[in-house]
Amino acid sequence: MKLLASLLHRLRDLFVLLLGVTTLLFFILRLAGDPVMVLAGADATAEQLDALRQQYGLDKPLVVQYLLYLFNLLQLDFGNSLASGIPALDKVLAMLPATLLLSGLSMVFTLLVAIPLGAWLGFRPDRPTRRFVAWLFFILQGVPGFVIGLVLIQVFAVNLGWLPSMGHEEVSTWILPTVSLGSFLIPKLTRVLAANVAEAMREDYIRTARAMGAGHFEILWRHALPNALLGTTALIGTMFAFLISGTVVTEIIFTWPGIGWLLIESAQNLDFPVVQAIAVVVAVMIFVINALTDLGFGLLDPRIREAAEG
Amino acid sequence: MVISITRRLRRARLKTSAAIELGWGITFGLALLGMTLFQGVLSTYDPMQSDLLNRFAAPGSQAHWLGSDNLGRDLWSRALAGLEWSLSAALIATLLAAAIGTTLGLVAAESQGRTRAVIRQLVDLVLAFPGLVAAICVIAVVGQGFWPLVLTLGLLSWPVFARVTYAESLSLMERDYVLAARLMGVGRWRILFGHVLPGLRATLMVMLAFHFADMLIAESALSFLGLAAPLGEPTWGNMLAESRAHLFRAPWMLFVPAAAIVLAVVTANVLGDGMAAVSRGKARGIDL
Repeated sequence: MKLLASLLHRLRDLFVLLLGVTTLLFFILRLAGDPVMVLAGADATAEQLDALRQQYGLDKPLVVQYLLYLFNLLQLDFGNSLASGIPALDKVLAMLPATLLLSGLSMVFTLLVAIPLGAWLGFRPDRPTRRFVAWLFFILQGVPGFVIGLVLIQVFAVNLGWLPSMGHEEVSTWILPTVSLGSFLIPKLTRVLAANVAEAMREDYIRTARAMGAGHFEILWRHALPNALLGTTALIGTMFAFLISGTVVTEIIFTWPGIGWLLIESAQNLDFPVVQAIAVVVAVMIFVINALTDLGFGLLDPRIREAAEG
Repeated sequence: MVISITRRLRRARLKTSAAIELGWGITFGLALLGMTLFQGVLSTYDPMQSDLLNRFAAPGSQAHWLGSDNLGRDLWSRALAGLEWSLSAALIATLLAAAIGTTLGLVAAESQGRTRAVIRQLVDLVLAFPGLVAAICVIAVVGQGFWPLVLTLGLLSWPVFARVTYAESLSLMERDYVLAARLMGVGRWRILFGHVLPGLRATLMVMLAFHFADMLIAESALSFLGLAAPLGEPTWGNMLAESRAHLFRAPWMLFVPAAAIVLAVVTANVLGDGMAAVSRGKARGIDL
């Protein structure tokens, strides 16, 4: 019952978010510039401008435009791209798989690196090597992901010539973008995990497990790490938001044809139906991901599971 | 007895290492600040001046000690100019975010019912949406330039402050001294801003430093994407973007601004971490 209630709660949040995002964008976009000017080019006549305005419904009062716009949104009609005339949503959805591929790969890469590393660092945080590595990660956290991406291209694509720096067809082209995007997330997650593991290691249940003869490995993997992972739930929501932000920059650096790349291009061309559609798709994506994580953690943690059932 | 001695020693050692870290942070912070203030003296060229005879000069060359770019512009002078742009953009954005976030956090802690619910909802919503995507959408339409950039960053990034202020001031409001003030008839808002807010000082200082670092990264990312500073303006993001066409010819065009960004961000992080370590106990829950 509670699971249903929390789902309804989340759906309401999604609705508020979508309404907020679209309303805000609508008004900022209309305030900022005249899209017709962009559309028609610099040397269009006044008649041509008027015709275009009529065609796109831009001659009506702002409130009417807004209501029409909301009405169309409810039918998933974001209007056509000003640049290409294709329905904006179709354009975005066509780019979505590439973005999902990149963020999925990077997420897997991040978890594969951050979990063992965080566990190792947190298990005996006072050992000299680990303190050095922890310090290194603290510095690394200060290196913006896009700088790492650029340096990776410089070293592995330009200087060594081992890996391609653009394209997304072959597997070899996936490596640099994945590592680059992963480097946005790995330092933060590793540091939080290490702190959580270190904290868990001081808990009574660890002492009990040790007293009952559990080995180091068992203590770490069966007792400390699961609890440390659950402690990162609060971070996950912001992590995904961060992941998407990182994806945008990474797609630009590696000319990866995803929605981040499309966003920049549309933003520069004032192609606002597409910008709108991207904002909405991103909001829905975040919602789905967060709902899934909630569910996943609910299944993992007996305390949450029981609270949800009872 | 023995345990208490080792414990005390350990604590003393932690305190020293925290003080050392803070010292490094302050030293580098002051150095960067000094470089900004004395830019006129330190700068060897006009950052916009091109020198077509010395294009792609490597670092260490006579005319340009950090090298020059595709138009022969001096990278050291450009990096210095970028420092000023980045520090001021990040500083104003951080202060704006802190002002909005702290106020709303305090208000949410004091008020009950609907106001609190609305603020919390707002915070959750903004935090859930990718900041960079939001910033790109806004900047794309309001246009480039220093003030659009700073306002966008500040207005989009305050929820972090609101969330922490809210949580911390809730616990501060339970303290005896706040209760005493209340009993003496001090007004609600005066308690909030005169008694609770000062108690948040340590936490806020740490958050300001970390937020500053985040703003530096966000600013340079937006500028790299061609959305913040006008083209050709000497900012680190622009310099990185310019370097992309010349990776084979002049890798230093990439490494100079990259090193500048990393230095500034790491300095802010060290400063924040040092302050957190020194005032640990006071500033709890700051591992953001």
